[in-house]
Amino acid sequence: MLNFFQLILIYAGIYAIMAIGQNCITGYTGMLSLCHAGFFCIGSYATAIMCKTFGLSFWLSLPVAAIATGLIGLLIGIPTLRLKGDYLCIATLGLGEIIRNIATNLNPVGYNSIPRASLFGYQFASRNKVAFIILIWAFVLIFYVLFQQLAHSRLGRAMIAVREDEVAAQSNGINVTKYKISSFVLGAAVGGIAGCLQTAYTLTVQPGSYTFMVSVMVLCTVVLGGMGNAKAVILGAFIIQLISYLPQLTGLTNVIPAQAKQIIYGLLLVVMMLCRPQGILGRDRFRYGDPRTRREKLHDFFIRPAGKAREARHENP
Amino acid sequence: MTVLSGGLSPSGSLLFISEKDVSTISLYMQYIVNGLTLGAIYSLIALGYTMVYGILKFINFAHGDILMVGAFIGLLIYNALTGGEAAAPGAWTIIAFVIATLVSMVACGLLGMLIERIAYKPLRNANRLAPLLSAIGVSFILSNGAAWIFGTKSRRFPYPFENEPIHIGSITITPHQIVIVAVSVLMMILLASFVSRTRMGKAMRAASLDQPTSMLMGINVNKVISLTFALGSALAAVGGILASFDFRVYPSMGTMTGLKAFVAAVIGGIGNIQGAMLGGILLGILEAVGAPLLHIPNGMKDTVAFAVLIIVLLVKPDGILGKNEREKV
Amino acid sequence: MRKAIALLLVAFVCLAGVAAGGSGEGGSSGDTYKIGFIGPLTGDNANYGIRCSNAARLAIDEINAAGGIGGKTLELIAEDSEGTVDKALASYEKLAYMDNVCAIIGPVFTSPALAVAQRCQEDGIVMISPSATHKDVTAQPATNPDGLNYVFRTVPSDALQSEVAGHYFYEVLGYRKLASLYAMNDYSQGLALGMKETFESLGGEVVAEETCMVGDKDFRAQLTQIRSAGPEAVYIPNYTVEDALILEQASQLGLNVQFLSSDGFSDPELYNLAPDFTDGVVYVGPAQAEASTKLADFQAAYAAAYNGDAPDSFATNSYDATYIIAGAIERAGSADTTAIRNEVAATKDFQGANGTMNFAANGDLVASQGVYDVEGIIPVYVGAFQIVDGHIVQVD
Repeated sequence: MLNFFQLILIYAGIYAIMAIGQNCITGYTGMLSLCHAGFFCIGSYATAIMCKTFGLSFWLSLPVAAIATGLIGLLIGIPTLRLKGDYLCIATLGLGEIIRNIATNLNPVGYNSIPRASLFGYQFASRNKVAFIILIWAFVLIFYVLFQQLAHSRLGRAMIAVREDEVAAQSNGINVTKYKISSFVLGAAVGGIAGCLQTAYTLTVQPGSYTFMVSVMVLCTVVLGGMGNAKAVILGAFIIQLISYLPQLTGLTNVIPAQAKQIIYGLLLVVMMLCRPQGILGRDRFRYGDPRTRREKLHDFFIRPAGKAREARHENP
Repeated sequence: MTVLSGGLSPSGSLLFISEKDVSTISLYMQYIVNGLTLGAIYSLIALGYTMVYGILKFINFAHGDILMVGAFIGLLIYNALTGGEAAAPGAWTIIAFVIATLVSMVACGLLGMLIERIAYKPLRNANRLAPLLSAIGVSFILSNGAAWIFGTKSRRFPYPFENEPIHIGSITITPHQIVIVAVSVLMMILLASFVSRTRMGKAMRAASLDQPTSMLMGINVNKVISLTFALGSALAAVGGILASFDFRVYPSMGTMTGLKAFVAAVIGGIGNIQGAMLGGILLGILEAVGAPLLHIPNGMKDTVAFAVLIIVLLVKPDGILGKNEREKV
Repeated sequence: MRKAIALLLVAFVCLAGVAAGGSGEGGSSGDTYKIGFIGPLTGDNANYGIRCSNAARLAIDEINAAGGIGGKTLELIAEDSEGTVDKALASYEKLAYMDNVCAIIGPVFTSPALAVAQRCQEDGIVMISPSATHKDVTAQPATNPDGLNYVFRTVPSDALQSEVAGHYFYEVLGYRKLASLYAMNDYSQGLALGMKETFESLGGEVVAEETCMVGDKDFRAQLTQIRSAGPEAVYIPNYTVEDALILEQASQLGLNVQFLSSDGFSDPELYNLAPDFTDGVVYVGPAQAEASTKLADFQAAYAAAYNGDAPDSFATNSYDATYIIAGAIERAGSADTTAIRNEVAATKDFQGANGTMNFAANGDLVASQGVYDVEGIIPVYVGAFQIVDGHIVQVD
């Protein structure tokens, strides 16, 4: 039981890192992207190739994975980020599928027996989960702090302004394209690092692991926790992984039908959207003594009148 | 060995076209025939996406799974009526097929309305992400619910008619391909004339142009939206049943088919009914012709399909037939 | 902000502490021996996993009904891999560390098997895959302290199968021009490339090599290309649904040539999906025991236990694997994984439903391959074949 809890911690960590990347793209800058599985895939493959084919150490492959993913993010970001809303969503969805399709066609077996990561002579063996928990959550912490700082920096405020109102941001002298692309590249690179860490743990890379479902799950993680809130996103990752391994965790794999967790995800998504679309920790802007009904509040929250749009959100948690 | 060099083997040169050219041309004709069948199915499904998007401006990710439900209902009813696999094709199997299709259409129409009422209607004023995710949730529930009830095994939809291939020159067509294209075209004509001729169709068009104004004009927008879902889902049911001849019936059959149909809708210009038809046919043919034309492995045909999508979006973000809507400041 | 970080840190340290406390946890198996199973129980290819787990369960029920092993009963813990690496590894973690199983049957598919094999080698737990054919599965380095090999399989490596296939198609069937249509996955690609290598080394030619993705439903583009290349026969080493669709669509396109396939074709489901098109297909699969009723007995018992469902060859392998493990546990007399491993490796001339079985030093099955010729919807056994001095020889 506890052993399995460790496993959930590991996967929740990996998903949390991915979700922090997705949050940068969707939460801060407001771009609906659905190709995080693609970034995850590129990060994993970069690590696998670096470690296995070129014999690099894991620590060297980490920046390589991040840079490679960032570059590909840049490459696909420059043309596609001109698209808006749903169109961007579809284009990125297509890109994710293209990345997986190419990976499958290049090598359907993928890579296995990838050398382990080591640090000061300590080898990270998959059996020693505590070491992995510390490694992965150290990264979660680093990214959490980094992105929390980012939200308050010039760059982060510009991103949020772009999310709130592109036209208003532009008229205030913000280079919308530049900030959109930097947000996309940052998010992609973080996704690549998540892939790198996952590879260090599983030591196997296979193209079948990077389906469209992974992108959807990462987006759900972000939305479930609360968009634009790094802490919430980490919570979301926990919940998603907890549900994902619920049958194993409770030892009821032979009782709970295997489809149950997917159905639970589905119900959770629908109910969440109906009752609390801003996510578990999402902030309701006007909660202090506000006379409006919940419905009105939601309406105002999401479809802001033009006047209110200009006040960029400074009180981001 | 093969029946390849059938009728079209020219003894001499016809208009300076060599024998090799003729066989290449007939090869591509065959690809196009194959692509048309696939494209007709995509078009039919794309119509549902496009209608919903036209009015509500959101991607109904559950549409692909409605297709699956439609195929299952159709299969169960057909098997119940004819006794399944053992039935010899004849008049009764064709009647049973028509009944099964109609019942499945009605059932899926109701299911579509129900889903809209429960999962989308309360979110009509929410941000754009909410209904999208709600739709993904519904899609999870439907496909996994079906896997739970029916198991993940693929089932075969028996042909209700004799399906002997017809050879025209070196091109081969089967009756079921003709049926797929004919039924799809019929459905599209019916839908197009419904939307352009009837009062309700006019209301639909009005609602997709401007909801608040059409409400002011006395149009019951809720009813229009319900009807849109019902129509789209009924068409998906037909698409699902037609697709199951080639694809088999299984719980996740709608996922990739739905995605492709959606891509078709976007290529054609989402929100535009003619666009969905065009996009579907185009995508089907591209999938069949693309890989051989570019001399890349056929395993990459999804890459071709999605690359075309991205290129179309970049060149003309509103799709081939989409109208360019300038964002107002 | 600071408070939040501090809170998170505290929570993190607490969790890590809890987790660290839990890592020393160990369990005794009480009065049962636990055997794990990893395979896809959900997803599009679940039929393979469900049949294999059913067969393993059947074997265990039979053993328990006969009094168990040394007074203890066997227990099967089946975990769903969904056919993916991540879930297979999670299943492995549960079986290895939570349930403390003494051996694992599976994983069913190659990629998960490659990942799990690595872990089994590291942790020293016996793994017998009933169906992962890729040649690398048994090539995982033994990383456990003793340097022993813990990975076995009751299915022949695809290196062997494709070699026999290539020789049989060239030497016995006399084909010189083949085409292949395979899915881009480890199983199909491994077989198709292996067969091609053998076939071309003998002097044959693969005139068209077409690929598809697992889950594709429309193969007309590929078949049209194959048709224009004019091969004598087409090799289709794919999963059930793909093969069924390929056969049907080939017939509709007028591609009336001989079709050749692999052990995946032993799935009875195929004959439900494409009953009109399987006639005449030749496939290479497991060899059958001569004059043994074990296979028929197993098939009858399986059908009786699972509503008349018929087992495929992988299920038969899974059944044999379970008996091999049970025998090893009996001889080892304990749940000690190293002792069980040594007994599995020492298995000699095991008489299973698939005939006489022995393991090579790397854990591969030492086997001859069977060839089947499908008549209507009934596979007819042609005989068992081996490669001796670069030529194919019928052994029985």
